[in-house]
Amino acid sequence: MKKYYLVMVFVLSGLIVKPAAIYAQVAAKQASVKITGEVITPLTINEVNFKAYTQTTVIRKDRDGKDHTYGGVVLADILTKAGVTLGKTLMGENLTKYVLVEASDGYQVVFALPELDKDFADRTIILADKVDGQPLAPGDGPFRIIVQNEKKPARCIKQVTGIKVMFAK
Amino acid sequence: MRIEPNNKHKSPYLNKVFIVSLLLVAVIAASSWTYYGVVPTGPYQLVYPANFGNRINVPDDSPTTQQGVYLGRALFYETRLSANNTLSCGSCHKQELAFTDGLAFSKGVDEVATPRNSMSLANLLWTRRFFWDGRAGSLEEQAGIPLTNPHEMGQELTVSAKKLSATNLYPPLFKQVYGDESITGERIVKAIAQFERTLISANSRYDQYLRNAYTPTADELKGMALFNQSPNPEKGIRGANCSHCHGGTKNYMELFHNNGLDSIPKDEGIAALTGLASDRGRFKVPTLRNIALTGPYMHDGRFKTLKEVVDHYSDHIIASASLSTFLRGESNEVNGKALKLTTQEKKQLIAFLNMLTDSSFITDRRFADPHLLAASNKTKTKSK
Repeated sequence: MKKYYLVMVFVLSGLIVKPAAIYAQVAAKQASVKITGEVITPLTINEVNFKAYTQTTVIRKDRDGKDHTYGGVVLADILTKAGVTLGKTLMGENLTKYVLVEASDGYQVVFALPELDKDFADRTIILADKVDGQPLAPGDGPFRIIVQNEKKPARCIKQVTGIKVMFAK
Repeated sequence: MRIEPNNKHKSPYLNKVFIVSLLLVAVIAASSWTYYGVVPTGPYQLVYPANFGNRINVPDDSPTTQQGVYLGRALFYETRLSANNTLSCGSCHKQELAFTDGLAFSKGVDEVATPRNSMSLANLLWTRRFFWDGRAGSLEEQAGIPLTNPHEMGQELTVSAKKLSATNLYPPLFKQVYGDESITGERIVKAIAQFERTLISANSRYDQYLRNAYTPTADELKGMALFNQSPNPEKGIRGANCSHCHGGTKNYMELFHNNGLDSIPKDEGIAALTGLASDRGRFKVPTLRNIALTGPYMHDGRFKTLKEVVDHYSDHIIASASLSTFLRGESNEVNGKALKLTTQEKKQLIAFLNMLTDSSFITDRRFADPHLLAASNKTKTKSK
């Protein structure tokens, strides 16, 4: 009888614990950024492999009108890693390429590829994961594009999930 | 020789029967082959105003044709596509309600209610992600889901194909569209999608205003200004902040947000698909086209009237970790926590929302149930 009782407890605890474990697993899932399109190597950027890139900071105003220091990686560095035609190869038909950035809420913005290349433009465009030394707020992160010196913040797209390089047709 | 007299006697009668039955067959064939005459063929011209833009979605393998739309329309209203022959797409997407059904949840063939509110169909030509959680990437993919879901129309596409193949109506229509009479699930959803792409709503009073053909009332103008403005109490600007998510000429921007309905949502929305905490309670920001006709509102139809909806955004947003950043800290009061529109402003906003009703869209005969039309044509012919 005692044996049955133990088995019952075991089975019941399994029933109770299992869904909770699944839920925890689901909730712990992390957002990532997929780099696709006109690339040699598609990449998936997550909070772990993001740290392997050279980190930089950009100061710009947010909607609150105050300067903030954003930490992250120059977007061109990530795209170069994926084999996007930047630097010396950014010529000819490659000048008709654009970068479509998409957020988890469906919002999309576009950059012309040369906008991201330091040989074309001085201002820095980064994929940020920090603001003032802290991780971005959940509504903004974990990854956000920060465009240095751009007057409107509309292209500082939050909750980035995808970056696709494409040819204008 | 012996049968001659009989023949002589019988032949006029037989002839009559023959002619009558021939006529009958012809009438049945004609009425079942077409719903109002000859099937039109050739490319279908999708007509819309230039300010809607051309970021439209028509798959390369299913260009919109007149015969395709004709077939798709017949299928959209075809109850044989449901397990018990009682429901069609049109059952939950009624034209007079801008292709919704006026219910919070709709009942499927098994009498089980759907988990989410039936969505309005308009300007789908510009839509890229379908359903409240955006899980379908094309109209074709979308169409297949309610057709087969056991709590909706509940019938496998192969069964639907078989049932349609057994009719007189459909095999010739499929031949007109696809070159042969073979009926498949893929061909069914492609044709339905073709019809749905033609559901263009571009003649509301708001559209007319944008093309200088309508002068809004004072309340409509005030409502429009509130709709488009972000509140800035320091500068004395009052706003309802709607256009961040509902702006543009089509009143649809294909965004997905948690709009502060619950602190712990019963329906997890997109998070159920992605497992991401930031997607919890996140749903499609639906089109506001014909919004006055498409209540009850929200993914669960919890609000019966536009007043309740406006009250929600003005006064009852519930904070949570995944609440849209557009709905945080926006107020018409200095250091205010909620939008706090006045009763007058709410009325003005609703006056503007009523400007988005396109009455020509909901009465356009090109979108109506062709089977009803065919039936009424038949009655008319008989009464003559």
